[in-house]
Amino acid sequence: MLGFFKKKQKEEDKKRKVIVLGIDGAPCTLLNRFIEQGIMPNLARLAKKGTLTDMTASIPEVSSTSWSTFMTGVNPGRHGIYGFTELRKGSYKWKFPNSGDVRSETLWEIAGRNNRRSIVLNVPSTYPAKPLNGILTAGFVALDLQKATYPESAYDYLKSIGYRMDVDTRKAQESASALADDIDRAFEIRKKAILNFLDNNEWDLFISVITESDRLHHYLWTALEDENHPQHGFFFDFYRKLDSFIGEMYERAGDDIPFIILSDHGFTTIKKEVYLNAWLKERGYLKFTKEKPGSMEDMHEQSKAFVLDPARFYIHKKGKYPKGCVEESEYESLRQKIKEELLSLVVDGEKVVKRVMFKEELYSGDLFDDAPDIVALSFEGYDLKGSINKTEIAGNSFLTGGHTRENAVFYINRGISGKDINIVDVGPTIMSLLGIDGIHFDGKSLV
Amino acid sequence: MAQDEREKLSALSLEEKIEHSKKIIREAIEKFGAEKLAVAWTGGKDSTTMVWLFRETCRELGVKMPGCMFIDEGYVFEEIWDIFNRLKKDWGLDVTIAKNTDVSDKAKNVGDMIKVSSLNERNRREIAKLEYGEEEFPFEPESFVGNHLMKTVAMNVFMEDNEIKALSTAIRWDEQEARIEEDFFSPRENPPHTRIQPILHFKERDIWDFIFKYKIPFCSLYKEGYRSLGAKGSTVKMSDIPAWEQDLENTYEREGRGQSKEEVMGKLRDLGYM
Repeated sequence: MLGFFKKKQKEEDKKRKVIVLGIDGAPCTLLNRFIEQGIMPNLARLAKKGTLTDMTASIPEVSSTSWSTFMTGVNPGRHGIYGFTELRKGSYKWKFPNSGDVRSETLWEIAGRNNRRSIVLNVPSTYPAKPLNGILTAGFVALDLQKATYPESAYDYLKSIGYRMDVDTRKAQESASALADDIDRAFEIRKKAILNFLDNNEWDLFISVITESDRLHHYLWTALEDENHPQHGFFFDFYRKLDSFIGEMYERAGDDIPFIILSDHGFTTIKKEVYLNAWLKERGYLKFTKEKPGSMEDMHEQSKAFVLDPARFYIHKKGKYPKGCVEESEYESLRQKIKEELLSLVVDGEKVVKRVMFKEELYSGDLFDDAPDIVALSFEGYDLKGSINKTEIAGNSFLTGGHTRENAVFYINRGISGKDINIVDVGPTIMSLLGIDGIHFDGKSLV
Repeated sequence: MAQDEREKLSALSLEEKIEHSKKIIREAIEKFGAEKLAVAWTGGKDSTTMVWLFRETCRELGVKMPGCMFIDEGYVFEEIWDIFNRLKKDWGLDVTIAKNTDVSDKAKNVGDMIKVSSLNERNRREIAKLEYGEEEFPFEPESFVGNHLMKTVAMNVFMEDNEIKALSTAIRWDEQEARIEEDFFSPRENPPHTRIQPILHFKERDIWDFIFKYKIPFCSLYKEGYRSLGAKGSTVKMSDIPAWEQDLENTYEREGRGQSKEEVMGKLRDLGYM
């Protein structure tokens, strides 16, 4: 009898499916505004059927960390992705973490060992593609489509349609309209690929991410509010098209299948970029062997701390780094001192840093040792940076939009339990909807 | 261009591909004339192939060979200069070196910081267009501003000064995914001109077959294992065996070229990291 129920349960599980649409860098407030303005009628309709709410992203609020947190349901102390850049162990050479550095099981790996099939399209930090029960083509920073895609047949298809892994942001050098055209082209081909995989393949878990929104925001954020900006109309049209696409996907799925939309961080207007390494230099904590350092390899042995993007502070500890000079006994007081000084950092008469946290307040797990010793969180509009060759503490660059940790978005066509949603909760929610239990996540299921 | 058309062209034999390229070149010369057309030559295998095809087509038509443009972005390999000088002489090429000396004069070494205020009005305007608000920028091939000034601006100034209406470049479909949308003739803005791309349908293997069949001289770096040549300092060799003996079909041509680590850095920089 028990066997019968078990079998029946398994058959029930078979029917459980989940669709996830990621919209890189879409702020909840912006979507709400577009709903109110009638720019996104499909999303408006969906919002009535379920829950559209804001969500906090990971710390730091960069795509690689946030999407890794999403796809593992655990904190960076366990999945190991603290940012886009790291230093190689025992050296000052750059390392760019890729899919091999994600140390926790991904949602599709968990689904796969439960005999469920996944399609995973354009999720950041999944390059190079690892084999899975299903199909995967990697997102940012993917370099070669063939290495980005599993299996070969999916690569053949993507190549045949002229699939684009990313927007060519160098088009911004040509003109804003050339960039806009390229965003549009990349977006069109992305949607085509997503709908093709959705329609023509078997899947239990379908995850796809739109990257073009993030590129639009970084480069053309000012076009949103400025009606005279040549790309103002383009910005709105992009969201109109995105809304139609949400409608198309939803139509195929129907109300029965859980449909999730999420973003990995919010966006805001950059008032100033703040260069934390320049600040550390000014305060005497950081020194390079050259006046104009080429990389972290020009680190001076008297340096006490340095920053990797966006605001990850590492104490230059003896024993941990080849030229490290900070003794264990000095570590605590140094962190405290930097924290206090950071909290009084002022640019253009305004305080920049909202909160300073130590690694033990943020992270836990096997990869805790790799975590930054201190992380700074800024007030909105101040984009914290780890650039090494800046001489001024604050400035502006070619980017007009910057990430926010708050104001990411979560949507599901159902009611949810719990509030104060964090991106770490999305993975456990998906697994619970698929009927897969017993995984030790850091997040909590919202259903 | 439709996918089946692209596939058909890519599957042609070498001789058929050459014929197709010559047809494109003939159309271009008829449309724009040799005076208003320039051939972008880098000294690399692809553009050298294209230059040869231009010479051959012009000889057949009995018309003057258009001028070549060589961008010196400040980090050119010595070995590239060797092949440049040799072919310029042997083939009697009329080459203009496009160089943004206003920028390069301000830097001694790659990585040196250049003050925006020290540049001429044109370069300052270009930097303003990028909405770059800093007082200085690094002179290096992967930097957003440096790349723009030393490559794009140098090229644009050359085209404006010479009233160039069409520029022929040697990009290929199989080189990079982003190129799949390119066509043999492609209109561009800023400055308004037409891009002619006569060897789009050549594969990397075709280029080497062509070079050996027609005994085209090539840069010695390919023999050392370089597959694709970019700026010195951001290009590395992928293997110690000559390029044409490597597994061209199953490995990535541009991997050694500011790709992998360097390309990741470039992409991150474009989004404001590093």
